[in-house]
Amino acid sequence: MRARHILIAAAVVVVAVILQTSLFARIRPFDVAPALTVLVVVGFARHFPAETAMLLGFGAGLLQDLLAVSPLGLWALVMTTVAYATVRFRGRLEEDFGLMTPFVFAATFGGLFLFAVLGTIFGEKTLADGGAVKKLLVPAIYNAVLSLAVLPFTAWTIGASRRPGTEFRL
Amino acid sequence: MWRPGGIDRSTSLLIGLIVLSLTLLTVDLRASGAGVGATLREGVQGVLSPVQRAVSTATKPFAGFVESLSDLFSVNADNNRLRERVLELEQEVAQLQSLENRVREFEALLGLATPAGLDTITAEVLAVGVSEFDHIRVISKGRNDGIGVGMPVVDEGGLVGRVVSVTATTAHVRLVVDPIESVAVRVERTGETGWLSGRGSGPMVLELLNSDAAVLAGDILVTADGKYPSGIAVATVVRAARSEVGFSLRTEATPTAALSRIDLVYVLVYTQDSPGITVDDGSGRIPAVVPEDPGDRTSGESDEEPVTTTTTSVSDDPTP
Repeated sequence: MRARHILIAAAVVVVAVILQTSLFARIRPFDVAPALTVLVVVGFARHFPAETAMLLGFGAGLLQDLLAVSPLGLWALVMTTVAYATVRFRGRLEEDFGLMTPFVFAATFGGLFLFAVLGTIFGEKTLADGGAVKKLLVPAIYNAVLSLAVLPFTAWTIGASRRPGTEFRL
Repeated sequence: MWRPGGIDRSTSLLIGLIVLSLTLLTVDLRASGAGVGATLREGVQGVLSPVQRAVSTATKPFAGFVESLSDLFSVNADNNRLRERVLELEQEVAQLQSLENRVREFEALLGLATPAGLDTITAEVLAVGVSEFDHIRVISKGRNDGIGVGMPVVDEGGLVGRVVSVTATTAHVRLVVDPIESVAVRVERTGETGWLSGRGSGPMVLELLNSDAAVLAGDILVTADGKYPSGIAVATVVRAARSEVGFSLRTEATPTAALSRIDLVYVLVYTQDSPGITVDDGSGRIPAVVPEDPGDRTSGESDEEPVTTTTTSVSDDPTP
């Protein structure tokens, strides 16, 4: 892995955050948008070494925190956890690629749920939202669908490739 | 692979990053929106807001196309409903015209100010919050344009929210439907006062102080005194309600502003210290305004005192 890969991944994360806050402000089927940054973090965490993946997740979360009005560190904690979960499960996911879409669904749902719980604990009243269940479920479904395009894209940006029966290599 | 007997490097790093995140959380909450966190936020938002503006502008045609596609499904039903509504509104307009004239005469007699008399700053919505749980809009005007924390934001429909943080060139507006927001309101038809609380994408909750007062579906709720100037439309009551038992009356309402599709907003140059609209008739029986706005019910959040200084560009034509 080279520094170039990390720079590319960081740039893709920034683009994802910008799209999340601008493009998806208008394209919102059923009034909910995908959680694109979570998806991108999962995409890169499949390929990077564990420590790099988690630091990338932390950085992506911190960037979201800096653009939000919620307390600093909330998204950083969530994204780090998502990256860690991906690192832990990626071996099994590569063995059976059919698990990838359910995993993306679970990672997105779990990440958003963690954010909602922590947000409520830290005074954001997130779980008091009348549409909380919808806001947890629908982005997870969108991410599961988008993963079919976004995960290959993230792999492509850093030149990750795989031979059958082996793990991804950079 | 997972090693039950010990903690590997990635788990150690996870623990370290979680501790770091919790430290950041604590420090940021203790700093109450100031300090290093605020400086970092201002820097990052200052760098990214031009990019967000560019992406928003560039993708507008595409997003508009997608929006119009989704609108096609409901256009016929909307047309019929709107035709009926136009007829109703034409009748109401005629009635309101005469009422408005009378109100102006009374206000002139009492020397009152109205929200329409406030200076406004027109701003474009650049971006939304980073997640579905962030009821935030980023607008294209900031401190340099005279915007300060606490200022109310409206659109043609009514109250959108209020400014909760400001950078030199942008500002964050927390929508009125955010669960940590509550607004002192008055039922326009009856004058009864109460609180309206946000519930995210769910309907807002109206709690009236007088449990004997009835509210009807379609009643308009307007701001009473507090964080906002009086008289701005906030929400429409969804369901009629009359309390059977209890100390207050609760029902639901939906915002009058088109919160999911706002492009342009008007920031009212108003702070809590601005001259308010209070009517004291001396009788002490009928409160013309709600005595005290509870503000955000979140401990830990304390916005800095609003800046009431100058406004640079002002007034397209706000219609709160």
